[in-house]
Amino acid sequence: MTDDADADAKGRREPMRDPSYDGAFDAIVVGAGLAGSAAAVTMADEGLDVLVIERGRYPGAKNVFGGVLYTPTLRELVDVTSAPVERYVAEKRFSMLSDDDETAVSLRPGEWHDPPHNDSYTVLRGEFDRWFAEQAVDAGAVLLTETTVTGLVREDDGRIAGVETDRPDGTITADYVVLAEGGNSLVSEGADLRKPERAENVAVGVKEVLEFPERDEVIRDRFRLSNDAGASYHYFGEGAVGDAVGGGFIYTNEDTVSVGLAYRISDAAGSQPKPEQTLNAFKSHPSVAPLLRGARTVEYGAKTIPEGGSESIPKLVHDGAVVVGDAAGLVLNNGVHLEGTNMAVESGHLGGEAIAEAAERGRTDEAAFKSYPERLEASFVVQNLERYGWLMERVEADRDLIFEELPHALADAGAEYFRMDREPKEKHAEEARERLFETVGGLRGAAKLAYRYREVLR
Amino acid sequence: MSDTATDRESSAAESDDGWTVVVGVKQVPDSDEVGIDPDTGRLDRANAPAVLNAPDRDALEAALSIRDAVGGTVTAVTMGPPTATDVLEEAVAMGCDDAALVTDRAFAGSDTWPTSYALAEAVDHLGADVAVCGEETTDSSTGQVPPGIAAHNGWAQLTYVEDVDPLPEEGRLAARRDVEGGHERIAADLPVVVAVAYGEFEPRPAGLHRKLYAETDFEPLELTADDLGIDADDVGMDASPTQVGGMETVDPVDREKETVETPAELLDALSDEGVIAR
Ligand SMILES: Cc1cc2nc3c(=O)[nH]c(=O)nc-3n(C[C@H](O)[C@H](O)[C@H](O)COP(=O)(O)OP(=O)(O)OC[C@H]3O[C@@H](n4cnc5c(N)ncnc54)[C@H](O)[C@@H]3O)c2cc1C
Repeated sequence: MTDDADADAKGRREPMRDPSYDGAFDAIVVGAGLAGSAAAVTMADEGLDVLVIERGRYPGAKNVFGGVLYTPTLRELVDVTSAPVERYVAEKRFSMLSDDDETAVSLRPGEWHDPPHNDSYTVLRGEFDRWFAEQAVDAGAVLLTETTVTGLVREDDGRIAGVETDRPDGTITADYVVLAEGGNSLVSEGADLRKPERAENVAVGVKEVLEFPERDEVIRDRFRLSNDAGASYHYFGEGAVGDAVGGGFIYTNEDTVSVGLAYRISDAAGSQPKPEQTLNAFKSHPSVAPLLRGARTVEYGAKTIPEGGSESIPKLVHDGAVVVGDAAGLVLNNGVHLEGTNMAVESGHLGGEAIAEAAERGRTDEAAFKSYPERLEASFVVQNLERYGWLMERVEADRDLIFEELPHALADAGAEYFRMDREPKEKHAEEARERLFETVGGLRGAAKLAYRYREVLR
Repeated sequence: MSDTATDRESSAAESDDGWTVVVGVKQVPDSDEVGIDPDTGRLDRANAPAVLNAPDRDALEAALSIRDAVGGTVTAVTMGPPTATDVLEEAVAMGCDDAALVTDRAFAGSDTWPTSYALAEAVDHLGADVAVCGEETTDSSTGQVPPGIAAHNGWAQLTYVEDVDPLPEEGRLAARRDVEGGHERIAADLPVVVAVAYGEFEPRPAGLHRKLYAETDFEPLELTADDLGIDADDVGMDASPTQVGGMETVDPVDREKETVETPAELLDALSDEGVIAR
């Protein structure tokens, strides 16, 4: 072409004929979710050249998630003042559902209204993940979207040295790889970095986002909220997830609500109806339906949640790679807590720091990353997973009692206790107690039950 | 990072063989997200993200397939503000060797007449043997620009092209074009403007390293009115003959949905309505 001279005259760099980025980046992050972006921000801040590869059209485009983001680590990493959050959580409500009863406890501590709002905010991941990835880009990382990582590059000695993608000319090498691909960790499994999770350790999450087309104030009025305050409602019992072990939730966003379920995949695969059907049954429960009246579904998604607890955490470091977030099974899902966002950010950050330290010393062997598993072990992440590990087993053993008999018994006892007739109250209280004891096995049974679950409040 | 990307092929490998193909692309509001403001009747484009005009992907594929067959280079060109660079990056990611942004305040407000004039000068400036365009843009749907480029330069044109067949020995490009009731195959002498039919070419996916390069390190060539020897008075709003008379939202007419059994009954019905005289 005759115009190359022109181009030079304008001070433009000559176009490359066949560009290669092999070795151009220090680290490649697989997945721009919370764990991936946390790792990317951390490494970019440490001066590393970071490439983040995301399969979605934009980060968060494919993320299904219930909706409460926990921010203690996040706000240490990035300036969150401009983060797209929906509402802070001002109320947590736990309720037990039988097929037609509800018994609930609600917590609205005044201090949750004050910043930092107990570090709990409802978010829509399509917006939040995009924003978080932008923070990584602002810190110097390069984000490549619409590209799926399909495998890992290995050196002869087994060291991980890059990734393969679904694009033509799709292999790229780098010294470090961060696996942050989430719970459906096909790359890690394909590379034998972890075994596929056993069905009893995987939950299925289904979620819908609903809007209220008729009126703006519906959410505030129905959930008793003012300004930016929001609510997270948690549900257990057969009215929420039928026979399965798990629970349901409703979270308020700014103009929408997220409604969903999370329960054992082994139950989902067995006698249990399809996740959509279970979700529809939950949405039409007599004490849930009025909250959602007139609402229209604008988004639906389903996803797996690892919940094997501390025992199913795979090896976190390999020569050339670290595994973070849901890809490493770091989710606490036990009925009372459904937390993965804080663990994803914490592990991504610690994994990123370990790589930055290793890079400083010019090392890529797994021993060079050992600060990551060590610090994770000492952090709330592994501590919480260990603390609640026993709970899921216990709940599984007591599932009929907890999910079916107890919700009925509590509702009946309540109805009995407050019954209005011409009998003295003493008689009602006695019948209520009897109804409860009959379910838990008398006073001794109740004491045993309390003892079995004492560690919840330890 | 830019300085650490390496070129696997030295520029010395460049040869004079093959054709110079230039492909015109345009940034348009994402048609999936454009609404019509019911009060003003205008398209609400402000809130729609800007994307590559979908028919231009076919044009890019057609252009790259010509290069695959005869060698040479493909350069994408777009006229627009600096933000239009995004679509050039997409073109380079797909495989274009280079890309040029035709940009100048003087072009602001241009309709299809000065636009095709400026693009005609640009493709000529770039030494095009073949200029490939999409059949139309999703935001204005005139289809006037490709023939406009040909007319300004006095080049041959092939429109509604479904398949291209370069004939380098003859210095001609043959094409199959869609015509009512079938297709025809015709050949044109170079230089030629080709407008490809939408949906006829399967755009190739961008290679990993090219996509990275396009999005991080590539810089387009910038061409101003001055570079193209264009007088500012010949382009822009004042040089645009299009007058928009008005916009109306048309309410659909209710159909009566009557069914007639035979042609004779239809004729009767039409004549009863006074549609035809008998
Ligand atoms: C229904 C549901 C409700 C939940 N509710 C809560 C809650 O209220 N609070 C809470 O704290 N946690 C909740 N969780 C858990 C939480 O969503 C996860 O723990 C958290 O998202 C994990 O973050 P991550 O970055 O590890 O993975 P992800 O968020 O899953 O991100 C992985 C990213 O990698 C991308 N990716 C995957 N594979 C590839 C590939 N091969 N190539 C390129 N990119 C790839 C994905 O597109 C995605 O962007 C919920 C989960 C579900 C399913």
